[in-house]
Amino acid sequence: MLTTSPHLHIRRPSPTTAEFTVTTRPQMTFSLRLLLAVVFLVRFFLGSSVLLLLYFKWTQSPYATPLTIPPDNPPPLLSTTTLLLALDSLLASPAGHLLSDFSARMPVYALLPPCLVALYLCLHRIHTTESLLVLRGLGIQTSSTGGTFLAGTATRFIPTEKICDVLINEAFKDFEVRYYLIVVVDGEEDLVVVFPRLLPGRRIVEAVWRGVRGCLYEGERVTNGVKA
Amino acid sequence: MPEHEGLMRIFWPTDLPRSDLRGVVVGWRNSALDVVVVAILEEVEPRNVDSALKIGTLFRSAPFPVNRIYELCGQPSMHVLGVSNVSESVQVDSSWVRVTTGPGYKTPLVTCPRASSIQVVWFERPQPGRMQYISLNPIALALDDKHGDLRLEPQDGLEEEEEKQERLKKEKQQKLVEKVKLHSIVKRVPSAKEKALPKIVNQMNWAWELEQLLQKNVSRIGTRPKRSLSVSERVVESATTMRDIALFWIWEMVTLYLWPIVTRGFVLALMSHRIAAEMFLTVLEWRPRPRGAALKDISATAQQVEIRLQQFCYWPMQYVTLRQRKNDWESVTTSHPDYIRFYNSLWLVANDVIIGMALGSYIIDNANWVADQISLILTKFTVEALQRSISWLMGWPAGLKLNKELAVFLGDLFLWVIDYWSSCIATLRPALPQIILFIGFSSFAGASMPIALLSDLLSILTVHIYSFYLASARIYHWQLNILISLFHLFRGKKHNVLRNRIDSCDYDLDQLLVGTILFTLLFFLLPTVVVFYLNFAFARMIIISIKAVFDTLLSCLNHFPLFALMLRVKDPRRLPGGIRFELRDTQEHRPAIDSSLPERTISLIYLKPIPLSFRAMFHQYFQMASRIRKHYLSPRVLLCLLTGKFVPPINRKNLYSLQYSMLPARRAGIMEMWEAVNSLPPRKRRAAPVMIPALANGNGHLNGNGRRYGGYGRRGYG
Repeated sequence: MLTTSPHLHIRRPSPTTAEFTVTTRPQMTFSLRLLLAVVFLVRFFLGSSVLLLLYFKWTQSPYATPLTIPPDNPPPLLSTTTLLLALDSLLASPAGHLLSDFSARMPVYALLPPCLVALYLCLHRIHTTESLLVLRGLGIQTSSTGGTFLAGTATRFIPTEKICDVLINEAFKDFEVRYYLIVVVDGEEDLVVVFPRLLPGRRIVEAVWRGVRGCLYEGERVTNGVKA
Repeated sequence: MPEHEGLMRIFWPTDLPRSDLRGVVVGWRNSALDVVVVAILEEVEPRNVDSALKIGTLFRSAPFPVNRIYELCGQPSMHVLGVSNVSESVQVDSSWVRVTTGPGYKTPLVTCPRASSIQVVWFERPQPGRMQYISLNPIALALDDKHGDLRLEPQDGLEEEEEKQERLKKEKQQKLVEKVKLHSIVKRVPSAKEKALPKIVNQMNWAWELEQLLQKNVSRIGTRPKRSLSVSERVVESATTMRDIALFWIWEMVTLYLWPIVTRGFVLALMSHRIAAEMFLTVLEWRPRPRGAALKDISATAQQVEIRLQQFCYWPMQYVTLRQRKNDWESVTTSHPDYIRFYNSLWLVANDVIIGMALGSYIIDNANWVADQISLILTKFTVEALQRSISWLMGWPAGLKLNKELAVFLGDLFLWVIDYWSSCIATLRPALPQIILFIGFSSFAGASMPIALLSDLLSILTVHIYSFYLASARIYHWQLNILISLFHLFRGKKHNVLRNRIDSCDYDLDQLLVGTILFTLLFFLLPTVVVFYLNFAFARMIIISIKAVFDTLLSCLNHFPLFALMLRVKDPRRLPGGIRFELRDTQEHRPAIDSSLPERTISLIYLKPIPLSFRAMFHQYFQMASRIRKHYLSPRVLLCLLTGKFVPPINRKNLYSLQYSMLPARRAGIMEMWEAVNSLPPRKRRAAPVMIPALANGNGHLNGNGRRYGGYGRRGYG
């Protein structure tokens, strides 16, 4: 419901520049936005409570130094002391009691792996977006969003001069044949796979391939589906 | 005009000042419709700018040779590319661009009558003064030294096997690459526009400095009213001249008398140290046999001393290279990796010394306690634990019924050697505090020194374990080999050495009988030998892993990319890792005003530099880790362990791969260094302040910059 099968978006402000985006993000409707907001809130809540749990576990361990509160003058607002004081007041609240009781009862080796898994789930990106930007005279650029929010978008720019060929290859994956778009780069051992994470179907790959051939080179034959 | 010529490409700096005055766009023209904008000169006539560019008026008072600009930007001259904020009625050349800009515009509007579609590539100019630059390829933090591979040559058969496998893999890959090339049917010849990208990157790197130069000289174009200075300005000017003369005099005194003496003394001291370093290095690198091991291959301390000496030999050369940077334009980016490497190694050494001082003072203060602890650990783990495990093996360990007589014999043998060794350690014990003190003092030369010394000390103090391991492995290996050949005899076969295969053989009855009896005997004795062998192999593996930890610490202290990491946090643009493009929507930029113009398609693209990835920074470390993994965690090592063959420790030269990424493989000789140090240009003498033509025109050095933008409007020009 949150994601769809990969589909293609083409952005082409001029015939010499085109961006092909394959994404699993569905068309944004009101209900979907609402759902995404709810998911975001749930994940935010889960992530912060996991971090709190780990913090409480840390304060219970013998390595933690107890917080010394300066007697009368309150610490400045933007300081770690204020943050720690706020965390301590959280600890004193009923929900905090619940969490700290829970963390006191669980040993570290049982607590850590589920916490790490939960944090990974909180940081995991729901949608995958991969794109191919074709600039005539400059080159092509592949980009792919990372698996988590910590990893940014990885881009790779290949100048036209270095491109030997752009072609569709086929490979076996499990029990099916997958068609994928590759760029053969001059002087490099590895081929560059376009849309490496999504590996969209043949229809999309073929459309992108035609688009790239029509856009990248000057005076190349332009097949009829592309110019439109 | 054919359709495919209609694509115009404009590279435009986003941080060009936006004003709504009319101006002339100046920049590089790489081909007819491929331009890089450098500056907009305001309130001048295009005709005048063109002639000024031709005769070089705009490059007057350039600090360094102007030809260098043309050479690096790959174009013989700069051109007028178009006009900005000029009304449509004015006729201009058809290949010129028309730009509408102003403080109200988010991005300038670009049109060109000759182009059917336009790619506008915005880029932010790197600041050469801050050593920022754009590069197509990631910056190389490691030294690209072709001779580096010479010393990594295999020295024994085992390494050769690994390297051979790697080479074969590479060759196979190369064949595949050649095959893939056959798939491309059409071989395209890249057009001029496509080949221009590296040139354009250089031009973008130069854009900032060139714009500064052009704007400084823009006042020289055309005729402009001269204005004499007012009285207050004259007073200010003569006061500053006075101050400058005084400063100049002091400076002259320092540079003429004091400076040469100081530098000469410093250079002589440096050279004498260099000669001493050369002597030490010769000792460290001396090999008794041509392919034998030098001192630095055996001992971690010797290797550490060698690294420091090599660094000391390389620093003056690096410094000379970096000083030469000052004699060139700031936009020349070739020496920036050198700069990072130089300061990285300086910083690492300083860090090392700081950590070493802390460590050393602690060790010296607590020398007796540390010595006690070390002797305690020594007796506990290398003597008592070993004795206990051997006596455990001499009984029936874990319920295994070993051969009692053989176990007692082997155990007594080892226990006797251990006894002798423990008496050796006992004689050493009184000297231990002195050794610890020595290690403590050595750590003032850097924390890496005591670590290397400890690593060596560990190898020396566990030499008995090493010999036990060798002896038991040899016994086990022999026995296994005998068992295998007797097993062949048992089956009525034998190993044919000449053909390296198993042949069947007719044995006599007595041969078969004796062989079978011997086989049974040895087979029943095997478990006893195996447990002893495993015991010592295990101890040996522990020592190897402790030494691996020491080596990792050493390599972190010696080669950590600290400076690069700091730069990555402080200013990522100084560590370029390539470029990326971003396509922007053009709808919002398409204005209503030129609805009368024929529809032209414009695509807006942003060019952004990518900072170097952390993975690329630690590339050398990953490489070393994979080498170590390949050496110790390979099936070959497991096979060696199982059959009792000797597992060789990883060769120190594999750990050199990191070193060669920082240091040249061949160090510069003494004479080379002497020449390099003396080739440094003499300290630049300041121009005498009286030479400034204070009243020659109203726009002298003193206040030229401040008037650049505001001034023209006030004068009612244009």
